[in-house]
Amino acid sequence: MIGLSVSFLLKVIVVLLVILFLFTVYLLFQRRREIRFAETRDTFLQNYSLPWYNYLINDENFSIVLVPRGKAQVAAVEIIFSSYLKNILDEKVEQKIKEFSNLYLKEFYEKDLSSRRWSIRMNALYRIADFKIDELLNACQQFEKSKISEEENFQLLKIYSLFQPELFIEKIKELTVHYSESEYRRLFVLLEDDIFIRLFEDFDSWTKNIQFAAIDTAAVKRNMQYIDQLKQLLTHEVPEIQIRALKGLYEIGVIDEIDPYVPFVTSDMWEVRLMVAKIFKHVPLNYSYTYLEQLLEDENWWVRSQAAKTIAENKEGIAKLQQFMESSNDQYAIEMAQESVVRKQGNK
Amino acid sequence: MNKLFIAEDIMQEHEVKGYFEILRESVIRSRFTMTAVFFKLANSSQGTDIERHQVNHQISAFLKSKIRKTDLLFQLADGMHWGVFFLQSSEVEVKAFLTRIFAILKQEREFQQIPLKASITEIRNNSVNFEALLEKNKQKLADDEQPSWSIEQVTDYNVQPTELVKVSIIEQNAIFRKVLETTISHLDIPHFTLEVASYEDGYSFLKSDSYKSGHMHLVIMNDILPRKNGLEILHILREMPNEKKFIIYMMSERNSEGASLNAYEGGVDEFIVKPFNLRVLEAKIRRTFARFWL
Repeated sequence: MIGLSVSFLLKVIVVLLVILFLFTVYLLFQRRREIRFAETRDTFLQNYSLPWYNYLINDENFSIVLVPRGKAQVAAVEIIFSSYLKNILDEKVEQKIKEFSNLYLKEFYEKDLSSRRWSIRMNALYRIADFKIDELLNACQQFEKSKISEEENFQLLKIYSLFQPELFIEKIKELTVHYSESEYRRLFVLLEDDIFIRLFEDFDSWTKNIQFAAIDTAAVKRNMQYIDQLKQLLTHEVPEIQIRALKGLYEIGVIDEIDPYVPFVTSDMWEVRLMVAKIFKHVPLNYSYTYLEQLLEDENWWVRSQAAKTIAENKEGIAKLQQFMESSNDQYAIEMAQESVVRKQGNK
Repeated sequence: MNKLFIAEDIMQEHEVKGYFEILRESVIRSRFTMTAVFFKLANSSQGTDIERHQVNHQISAFLKSKIRKTDLLFQLADGMHWGVFFLQSSEVEVKAFLTRIFAILKQEREFQQIPLKASITEIRNNSVNFEALLEKNKQKLADDEQPSWSIEQVTDYNVQPTELVKVSIIEQNAIFRKVLETTISHLDIPHFTLEVASYEDGYSFLKSDSYKSGHMHLVIMNDILPRKNGLEILHILREMPNEKKFIIYMMSERNSEGASLNAYEGGVDEFIVKPFNLRVLEAKIRRTFARFWL
């Protein structure tokens, strides 16, 4: 049996009680601070939402009362700015937010960048990009030299892409971290057209994820400027790039000549043939019908189905399909044509 | 007393009064403008009885051949005036009609003896009664010195009543909700008063019951909302028997054809992708209401 004196046990209990008491006091203090923070933030929101509206939307004069004092009020201004930027598209509003942030919020975020807490640093990086605080570009470059996480680095790239696209291109060239395709897409979509198009200049020097993201972003941007770039990639040796380029061209939806697409009708890969059947939707049927008929007799169900759909969507398509059904010997193709005709007529 | 020359094949004043009262109420209920035109010969006192009898017949036949099937032609009891109610037509359209028929009358040989004059009354409210309308127009045309082809105007009934429109804003973001509320409250739309209410989620909107009243109701809501989402509300509103009173604008962060197609097929009147320009929203609302009256 362990022999412990009563006085020793009492001492331990007292020490534990003291620690517990101190911990409770600390928790209560923290809670009070949080409550006070939320109260100050909410009061600011309540009192100054309307003056902010009048300044941002109604072009009223700027008043010094709008300037936040302390972190809680900065948090309130952040909420106001984020709500406006997320919901309202107005260059004047964006410009005012940018000017105000560069003048009054710069120091807060500069300080936050040197915080020991990752979440505070990340928040600062997000806000610098959202509110376009370009005066902090140097501070960001300094910050990059410290030991930073992958997420922080990603945010920095976003900031560079907004404030200094040249630097952004340089940075992604020398990247040691490899981001996913979707992450690159998120970066590329922010780029101005003249910078974005440069990604296609030395296309083969990029990693696969960057190449794929660049093609997909061109498709999302739906800018006719990128048609030539994508068309050049049709002869690329990597099939995945060919397929994505076809998909991008389909999304943009402007097919100026049919010749570059014709070789794909006889491609070995069914995915390529499928994409080409889709692309022919944007071509007058009298140019594409011969190829579509060939695709209608394809060995792959998806290709046949798409070819039938593309023909059926045209005004004269149903008549062409009916004609095809009478003349063809391919039972599978006939069935597919029949299905499309029935579906189309059912929709009417 | 002047002998009356009544054309038998067109409606007469006493027959039209009942129709007029129904049409006048439709002006308010269906928000369609009606314009009344009264014609009189510019030199009505000249000529023999037989000549005037012939001319009256000519006028009746001519007007009858020129009006649309939706217009109502009649002759007044005094035999000297003709009236036409142009349904769903504003003063502008009717003036164009008059210019056209006057030009025909001036040019065509067979009509040259019938110089007409006219008075126009645009009706946009129901505070007019048949007798007063007739009396006012007769007065306008009473002066025998008035030149041929002159067009007088009665402007007493051309202001439509102000209509109350309920506006519900359903948006989760408190700041943006307030922005929309303030912007729309300050919107000045002629002949409509907007009563703006805002809700943070779909459930509280449905709970408010404000959508059950008969007023025209503009609903501006997000597609994604806590508790009941926008698409559910859209469905509920469009299932209601008087769903036509709702004008539904849906805001969304999803900038895709699929999302907008889905919303339009579900019955929204406008699909607005966020972020959007407030001035454009204001313009859209103005255009929506401008369509209600000619």
